[in-house]
Amino acid sequence: MAKYILKRLVYLVIVFFIVSFMMFAIYNLIPSDPAMVQLEPLRKSLKPEEFRQRYLALRKQLGLDDPLVVRYARWMGFIKDVKGKHEGLLQGNFGYSVTFKRDVVDVIKVPMANTIILNIISTIITLAITIPLGIFCAVHARKPVDSAIQAGTVVGYSLPTYLIGIVFIYLFSVLLRLFPTGGAKTPGSTYTGIQELLDRLYYMCLPILVLVFTGLAGMTRTVRAAMIDTLSQDYIKTARAKGLKEKIVIYSHAWRNALLPVSTSIMGWIIGVFTGGSLVIENTFALNGTGRLYWTGLNSTDYELVLAMQMFYCLVGLIGVLITDIGYTLIDPRVRIDK
Amino acid sequence: MENNNTAKKKEFFLIRWIKRAFFPNKEMDIYAEEQLQSPFRLVVRNFFSNKLAVLALIIVILITLTVFIAPNYVVLDLGEQDATLVNVAPGYNMMKYPSALQKNGVRDIAVGYNYSVGVDNTGKVYVWGKSRISQVVNTAKVPDEVMEADIVKVAAGADHVVALSSDGKIFCWGNDRLGQCRLPLDIQSNNRRPKFKIIKIEASDQFSAALDDEGNIYLWGNENFVELWVKSDLQGHIKDMALTSAAFVLLTDQGEVVAPTPTSSSTVTKIPEEAKSGVIAIEATTNTVAALKDDGSVIVWGAYTKNENLVPETSSKIVEIKGGRFHYTARLENGELIGWGNDRYEQASVPESVKNADIVDFYTGSFQNYAVDKNGKIYTWGLKGFICGTDSLGRDVFARLVNGGKMTMTIGALSVIIETIIGVILGGIAGYFGGWVDMAIMRISEIISSMPFIPFAMILSAVMGTKVSVEQRMYIIMVILGILSWPGLCSLVRAQMLAQREMEYVTAAKTVGVKESRIIFKHVIPNVMSVCLVSITLAFGTSMLTESTLSYLGFGVPLPTPTWGNMLTGANNSVIIQNYWWNWVFVGAIFGITCICINLIGDGLRDALDPKASGR
Repeated sequence: MAKYILKRLVYLVIVFFIVSFMMFAIYNLIPSDPAMVQLEPLRKSLKPEEFRQRYLALRKQLGLDDPLVVRYARWMGFIKDVKGKHEGLLQGNFGYSVTFKRDVVDVIKVPMANTIILNIISTIITLAITIPLGIFCAVHARKPVDSAIQAGTVVGYSLPTYLIGIVFIYLFSVLLRLFPTGGAKTPGSTYTGIQELLDRLYYMCLPILVLVFTGLAGMTRTVRAAMIDTLSQDYIKTARAKGLKEKIVIYSHAWRNALLPVSTSIMGWIIGVFTGGSLVIENTFALNGTGRLYWTGLNSTDYELVLAMQMFYCLVGLIGVLITDIGYTLIDPRVRIDK
Repeated sequence: MENNNTAKKKEFFLIRWIKRAFFPNKEMDIYAEEQLQSPFRLVVRNFFSNKLAVLALIIVILITLTVFIAPNYVVLDLGEQDATLVNVAPGYNMMKYPSALQKNGVRDIAVGYNYSVGVDNTGKVYVWGKSRISQVVNTAKVPDEVMEADIVKVAAGADHVVALSSDGKIFCWGNDRLGQCRLPLDIQSNNRRPKFKIIKIEASDQFSAALDDEGNIYLWGNENFVELWVKSDLQGHIKDMALTSAAFVLLTDQGEVVAPTPTSSSTVTKIPEEAKSGVIAIEATTNTVAALKDDGSVIVWGAYTKNENLVPETSSKIVEIKGGRFHYTARLENGELIGWGNDRYEQASVPESVKNADIVDFYTGSFQNYAVDKNGKIYTWGLKGFICGTDSLGRDVFARLVNGGKMTMTIGALSVIIETIIGVILGGIAGYFGGWVDMAIMRISEIISSMPFIPFAMILSAVMGTKVSVEQRMYIIMVILGILSWPGLCSLVRAQMLAQREMEYVTAAKTVGVKESRIIFKHVIPNVMSVCLVSITLAFGTSMLTESTLSYLGFGVPLPTPTWGNMLTGANNSVIIQNYWWNWVFVGAIFGITCICINLIGDGLRDALDPKASGR
């Protein structure tokens, strides 16, 4: 087991460096010139020839003319940077955000907290609904109730998240006036402590509702399919044949086994929500989260911020896959790891 | 039985499918059925026995056909926008005059932005069209005093209406926020103590003018927009006035067109020499003025952009002229009506029925024309309305819906094709050969699938799509979607391949000496494809969703080119969600239905391919 985890970890590190190099290379395709930006204010006070010399010197000083690999290594923190220090991603220096005029680490804190709260709450609610619902559907497979729920789930996973967002704003904010249409907290409020938390949660209600609604459909189908598969297994027949109560068959024998394959898709779904889903939701509801930050960064060409966030997204994705794989082998002894 | 089959083959395949779906074959005994059906036909049969999936298939086919055929007829002009047609509600009622107006006889009709006001011979006022300007302003809310008065003339501005009663009183209602209804003191006192007789009223977008029988003009409205005063030596000599949207010119009793103020800088107040004598009437569109001379010639000046200056050759003299937003309608001495200028909504094309009728009066404004014949029948031509309304820039939602659908579906289909090609080839190679090839391909696919999809696609789009045309950007989006989404299909094909390569027919082919590549692509892939079909169908829906999500976030196809995604970007705003529902309901509904149907087809295919589901 330890060997397997080690192998996966090494693999993760390798993939992370490949991906980060790819991302870095893509970013360097963008025509931007920090040296020119720094020197621009001096352009008028200097003679053209002098300006040119200063510009070239600065480019050299900033290391902009070095090969891509060198710049990557510097950015990562493998080798000394232009100031002669190891200050890269690995040392915890995520760069400087031009838009917010602060270090990326500081910029990211609040949105990250918002996104994590949003996702944790919506994941818990979604799972609390979908697992019983999926089991219910599987037990009543091909009956009218099941068909109705299946039809509903097709609608749920076919509609784009932002459309559901718009419809929900119309229903809950415009018609029923239950929730605010967007934002992260009451404008101008100076709440503290528990009141602040409640205010934040109030503003998150509608986004959570939309996330839960979009999550319901796919997860219910996954749980149902896994459960139907399990219910057709021989050991279920045996359990029924020996006269166990249907409740015990379902809740003791079947569903624990059915949840094994589901756990993979749960992880994939969480990653999807955390990245793509929150991007859309946070934009629709003007919620100050990582998705919106990423979007703002891309739109205002704040590339150090975007690059750091992209690395974060990749890391989330990779660690998610790792946790799924390891967790899978832990909970399901049938999975051979020493292959 | 054989004859029956050949006869069926002659039918068009769609009819055959529909027949099979809704009128199933006669019951056959199990052996006959077993003999007749190949696995493929069994799948087709299974699929077509699923009513929901067939319905979904029909809907998708219909939507696809509409979206690909209709753009040839509903041509989209990307640069087109009009401030006066902003957020027009859906419906064709812009020229639906009340029947009582026709019954009682028309006294006057005036056309505002998207509504019209009419007076019948009993002095009653009617308002029709899109009279609801905002939540509070509605020009159809005619004040009670107007309903009681005997109105003789009406004039309509952007969001205010002016009416003149037979006893010379002026009424004004609608939006008063910019002073459109703040009547000048002279007229107000006149209302109490009749001194001058007002004979003519005109209204432009945000200001209005009244003319009395002694040749004095009174102006009121938004003074920030236009200089609302005239040189004092002109007062008492004015015969007519023409109001464009941001300026006005006057006609003196000497037949000379004059600018009202020496400081006016608008293009319409630079009066051409020809218009300085012998003018009998003046009329205005939004940015131009036309003067009708006593010899029947028409001179047009101002900022003409839509052929307002191209007065057609006429058989007889022009005797009367009226101006809309970008077009003029005129009457000839022989009673014939002609139009020229912008013909986007056919407002400058006089219909045959009007040419044949004996017209006694006609009214023009905005994009609409009304003509009344001697029997009192009202004819209309011009812009009726928009079937799905217009968006916040005055663009036709229906045209954008159809053209955007073409864009979204093309991108979805082509990216699925790219995905399928990459996925099937790589999956086939990985599954068939195994070993280090398999290892390498699967690692690459893992790397790609571990990168979060939407953020990565956004970055690629932002980096690659900055300095390219819309067309190229569209292709870039397709390629990005295709390249990022193949791993799923790849692993599916690989898994199928692993199972298939152990089959006897592959061994047999190998024994005979068929080349490896031929075995893969000629023999194995066709068997794998049936399973992939489900995945491809679902991927089509997903691609459309992803493209629209990217466009919604602003990283897909850029505006003004419409797609279903970026049409909804504008709707991300509680004001639009609440007040201008047509901006998002139609596109949301069509897009939703398309995606739901594609997924239903995918599900139907999956059930049809699943031998367990066929109930045998």
